Amino acid sequence: MELTKNITLGVYLPGKSFIHNLDPRTKIIAATIIIVLLLFSRSYPAFALSALFIAALIIFSGLPAGYVMRGLKPMLPVLAIMWVFQLFLFKDPDAAVYFQWWIFEATEAGLQMGNLIILRVLFLFTITTFLTLTTSVVSLTDGLESMLKPLQAIGLPSQELVMTLVIALRFVLILAEELEKIIKAQMARGVAFDRGNFIQKTRKIFPVFLPLFIGAFKRAEELIVAMDARSYTGGKGRTKMKTLHMGRVDLGAAALMIIYSGLLIYIITTTEPMI
Amino acid sequence: MNLSVRKIVISGILGAITILLGVTRLGFIPVPTPAGHATIIHIPVILGGILEGPAVGLITGAIFGLFSFLQPGAPFFADPLVSIFPRLFIGVVSYLVYFLSKKALNLNARPVLNTGPGEGAATGSTGPGSNISRILPCLLAGAFGSATNTVLVLSMATWRGYLPSEVSISIGFLHGVPELIVAAILTVILVQGIQRIRPSEDIT
Repeated sequence: MELTKNITLGVYLPGKSFIHNLDPRTKIIAATIIIVLLLFSRSYPAFALSALFIAALIIFSGLPAGYVMRGLKPMLPVLAIMWVFQLFLFKDPDAAVYFQWWIFEATEAGLQMGNLIILRVLFLFTITTFLTLTTSVVSLTDGLESMLKPLQAIGLPSQELVMTLVIALRFVLILAEELEKIIKAQMARGVAFDRGNFIQKTRKIFPVFLPLFIGAFKRAEELIVAMDARSYTGGKGRTKMKTLHMGRVDLGAAALMIIYSGLLIYIITTTEPMI
Repeated sequence: MNLSVRKIVISGILGAITILLGVTRLGFIPVPTPAGHATIIHIPVILGGILEGPAVGLITGAIFGLFSFLQPGAPFFADPLVSIFPRLFIGVVSYLVYFLSKKALNLNARPVLNTGPGEGAATGSTGPGSNISRILPCLLAGAFGSATNTVLVLSMATWRGYLPSEVSISIGFLHGVPELIVAAILTVILVQGIQRIRPSEDIT
């Protein structure tokens, strides 16, 4: 049982590519634009363009494509089951029927709906994983803090919220290691987590959850003391040793994003939607 | 809104647990229904609401929603209205149910003299130190928090056209009820366990 092996979210792979060197704000804005456009994409040509664009980004970043997609592995069986259910359950009286058995009907609408949402899931996953793989948590924090600073004017504690997100990302791997130890300890005592029905499987989770939460809260108490001892006051009066600066490479990235967004919007508005 | 260091850290750590339960799929229990699995990922959000109040419940819920949108466990979660919006209410509802039920139990309590933690339950008392007044609010908060997640997510998924209403209702019963029972029991166990290691006894 290697829980940490398939966790790619929150992991940073250092590199020297132009994507690694971009200002974190540029990367966050670009990822947001890609995600928003993705939610409006409903046709195969639109997804094809996004696939080409993201594939090019992965190649230019120098990251191993297999590693970027590794986190998807545990999700694949669920996605396959969901696609089948969507195929049979999405009803549209006008849609052509491909296959019929008992009360189940595989319609064209179901097929297109299944494809649409599976494609969305795959793209969302790849984009967010790619963002964290090419941006360190420190850069991500600096970028988010700088971007959300104006919201402080309306009373939103943006710096504190970013800190919360950073703690969450940082602790995923630490807690994963702890969880792995707890599960291995239970397995050494003869617990078989993959066997049994719903009730039996659920009961086996109880002795895993309690030590996980107790351990996490102990760490939280330590972190609270450490942050209080260093007089952490959120965003109030804080300055940065390294300030963010946008350069030529960011201008280039902005131009690239404008071209991609323009093309994608054109495709979205002119092509026939899947459903 | 002002967030103390405690609230920031607890929200972050509970957020980390929700992400962890999602990416390792430990928070999903496979059930052969259209939704594919019953979930217990929302339990950290319920705990956030109970232990630290509505702000932590809201933030942890937002982290849960954000990651279930960005790394969806089921395809219809790729829509932010299904994945993020309903999750904002789990912690807030849990806090309200916990706070109100605790208040109601303490108000209705008969004065009990020399009652230890075990004795209260044995005598059927609902006094402030009794087992019932400690357990029941957690049980109710866990159940209502879980029901909030099930009802709102399925309602949004139906409204957005991802699931037909009959399927949503059957998932609501097939998943919602076991999820609710597991969440209620786990909430009681976890709150009791966590309270022992926390510096302050008063959790409201």
